[in-house]
Amino acid sequence: MNEKERPKSAALSIALMSVLTAVVVVFTIFPRIPTPIHGYINLSDVIITFSAYLFGPWVAAVAGGLGTGLADIIGGFPQWAPFSFLIHGLQGIMIALIARIGLKKGVPGDAKIYMQILGGVVGMVIMAGGYYVVGGFLYGFRAALVEIPLNLIQSGVGVILGIVVSKSVLKAYPAVRSLAL
Amino acid sequence: MSDYFKIEGLTFAYQGYGQDEEPPAVFRNLSLTLQEGGKVLILGPPDSGKTTLARIMSGLLPRYIEGELKGEVLLNGRSVPNLAPWELLEECTLVAQNPQEQLLMTTCGDEVAFPLESLAIQHPELEARADAALESWGLLEYKEVNPQELSGGERKRLLLAVTEAIGAPLWIMDEPFDDLDEGWRQVLKEKIKTREGAVILFASRYLDEFDPLFGSHYLLEGGALSGGDVKAKLAKVEGGEPFKVEQDLLHGEHTLKCNEVVIGHSRRSTDTVVPFTLKVDNFEITTGEVVALVGPNGSGKSTFSRVLCGLSSTLEGSVTLDGTPLNNQERLFRVAYLFQNPDYGIFLPSVREELGWSQRHTAPQTREALVGEGASLFDLSLEENPSMMSYGKRKKLQAAVYYILDRPFVIIDEIDSGLTYSDAYKIVALLKKRGAGVIVITHDRSFTLNLASRQYKIEEGEVVESGVGE
Amino acid sequence: MNTNTYIVGRGFLYWLDARAKLLLIVLLSVMVFFPSHYLALSLLFLLIFIIVWYSVGFKQSLRPLRSLLFIIVVMALFIPLTQRGGEPLWAVKGTVLVTREGVAHFATLALRLLIVTYSCTLYIWSTPMAAINLALRWYGLSYKGALTVTLAFRFIPFIGETFVMIRDSHSLRSASDSSQKERLRLGDLVPTVTSALVFALKAIPHLATTLEHRGFGSTLKRSSYKRLEAKGGLFIHFLLSVIILLATFVLLNSI
Repeated sequence: MNEKERPKSAALSIALMSVLTAVVVVFTIFPRIPTPIHGYINLSDVIITFSAYLFGPWVAAVAGGLGTGLADIIGGFPQWAPFSFLIHGLQGIMIALIARIGLKKGVPGDAKIYMQILGGVVGMVIMAGGYYVVGGFLYGFRAALVEIPLNLIQSGVGVILGIVVSKSVLKAYPAVRSLAL
Repeated sequence: MSDYFKIEGLTFAYQGYGQDEEPPAVFRNLSLTLQEGGKVLILGPPDSGKTTLARIMSGLLPRYIEGELKGEVLLNGRSVPNLAPWELLEECTLVAQNPQEQLLMTTCGDEVAFPLESLAIQHPELEARADAALESWGLLEYKEVNPQELSGGERKRLLLAVTEAIGAPLWIMDEPFDDLDEGWRQVLKEKIKTREGAVILFASRYLDEFDPLFGSHYLLEGGALSGGDVKAKLAKVEGGEPFKVEQDLLHGEHTLKCNEVVIGHSRRSTDTVVPFTLKVDNFEITTGEVVALVGPNGSGKSTFSRVLCGLSSTLEGSVTLDGTPLNNQERLFRVAYLFQNPDYGIFLPSVREELGWSQRHTAPQTREALVGEGASLFDLSLEENPSMMSYGKRKKLQAAVYYILDRPFVIIDEIDSGLTYSDAYKIVALLKKRGAGVIVITHDRSFTLNLASRQYKIEEGEVVESGVGE
Repeated sequence: MNTNTYIVGRGFLYWLDARAKLLLIVLLSVMVFFPSHYLALSLLFLLIFIIVWYSVGFKQSLRPLRSLLFIIVVMALFIPLTQRGGEPLWAVKGTVLVTREGVAHFATLALRLLIVTYSCTLYIWSTPMAAINLALRWYGLSYKGALTVTLAFRFIPFIGETFVMIRDSHSLRSASDSSQKERLRLGDLVPTVTSALVFALKAIPHLATTLEHRGFGSTLKRSSYKRLEAKGGLFIHFLLSVIILLATFVLLNSI
């Protein structure tokens, strides 16, 4: 593909990060199912996984962290915002980094499927584990246990749909490759 | 005297992405010159490359959208494609056809101020300049309002205000009269007329407003510019004879009717508490007829359409089919609604899959036949990727989807935007051939006169029947 | 989709500068995690609740409570039951169910949660988003970071609306048999999410282009249209914040 003189500019990375952040916010707030502790399970993990597979660690970190943090603020859980920022940010970074192992060129979405799944599973552990630790701090560790299975379901759905959706987006809109940083 | 703005031997093709053939060149050896303060009108049918040319002239393409450019674009002797866009900030400004592409901020005030901040203009001049521009486009009272809450026409005015605030000597305008109400069209016309700087204006239809404005006229067609009587040439390219079709009333004769219906929704904006309502005392359409629905921007044409097709509910009264009331769910698969923007309904990577998706419950053989028929009638090739097709083709694909779904009633929103007359006529004719009752929403009088047998008009919150073309 | 978190209200918090207020809220939230008696915490919470009540009205001030109700019930069930050492308060047939220590532990955790939630909520209710953004910039957030946040807010309603339109267009294309539709709902999620994403992704090159077309990228130092103004001087605002923090510290350690 044509790699010669595409400007790797600040404008493009800001555009990528802000639009994907907005997508994460919308998918966090829109289809949500209430759960005890963190409020609701949602589709944010689908978009974080997707961003990690298509755009790499930094975009995934910002979109995941900032997106879920802003969604907490807008959705009425501002006390969670800093923690969501860190947890989902780290989740995005790790999914992308692991999926990228062994990949010489292209986007992490082209990586071998088991590397994508491995990245996704590590992401699930970070997400569920992160909220357990913070929840334990805020509510006591026993009450926070309730949240673990729900978070695993949410991030698990995120990994499966994330893989499927990133393949279908690469197919439906091939020009997306030219946006990858 | 050296030329102020000059294009010479421009050839451009978008980059292909893993498709079998590279996309064809949009322009071949295109040339144009413009003197300082000159005013040029470039007419072109839909998908002739107006937007592409406007972006190239403004130094915005190829950049984040990739393509191969050959030839020269010179502004004051400097090569536009070799300059970074910010170096052109004080040289030229583009007013995009679709305002959503150019909106950045969360208040109108910030929107106008953003380029002035880039120019390092300090307070109090910064605020004075921003306010003056908002004022002259009637938006000062919206200074703290989010542009996303504005109507299409107001967004266009906001972009014009930004353009005015920057005050660059060259304005490149892509269908700027679109979406503007009559009064603001006059304002824009006056601004173009009295302006010292140069203007290059792109349009797909010749408007009465254009008459005394431009020093030269061109037609963009087949990848090149030509002069002469561009108005007549455009009409020839457009075609424009409505098709005569044999109707087979597949569905038999049915009538969709609204009796004493009231429709309403609350406005999003925080300070207007007055809810929006629309009264429909008597509206009906029978299978096989074409009915026009007209009315100014924001009068509720889309809201009314959403109720007819079952996406929204009525506040009072009901929509009936042959006298039996239909609930929302029942209307959903009897009344099709083609949104103005076809992309909302397109999501699969090939025309074949897209057309087949709604037919996934039918037997494979029947499905293949239907998909094939739909594609060939609407001039689509089955393996093409919809997201890489031209706007006009995507609109045709959208129509093909509902054609093979075989709905007895079809609403087409802004059918004439982005389509040539002949394509628009063809879509309506094909749907009519199947015996569907078609409601066309349009701003174009000649289109209504040629197509519709009856017309409804939205006036002061009411849907009333009126003479065709009124 | 409404992204506005600012709520019209009155009083001191609406007057206090966004920067000083941010310091106050953050340090206050940290402070309640140091060991302190639950009676002191409840006094602090009562004070905060009264301030919220005064600022935005009673009905609005109950909203965070409602969102926390469920978790507080879960905590009430879990914590006292699992912490059974200490002075018994309630025993059934010789098995101690609730102890004084368990209740105290529950009260401390629940009150912390309430205080943190109410302080954070109060901040975003009483501070316009633009001011929060400027305050964060004052604390060191880069212009690019702040711009990313602003642009995200600009795109949230746009993408929300797109998502609704795509869902609608989807339901218009559904098969007429509604029983089949129910079964396919989960599978339908992939095409819906895909087209919402393609729609959003297509906006990215236009956004990057427009940023540069409006002068982003130039080496000129940008001026700033919006500014924070602290009435009476920023020092006074910070001073007041520090005084409030000290008073809170004294209150928390008095019992």
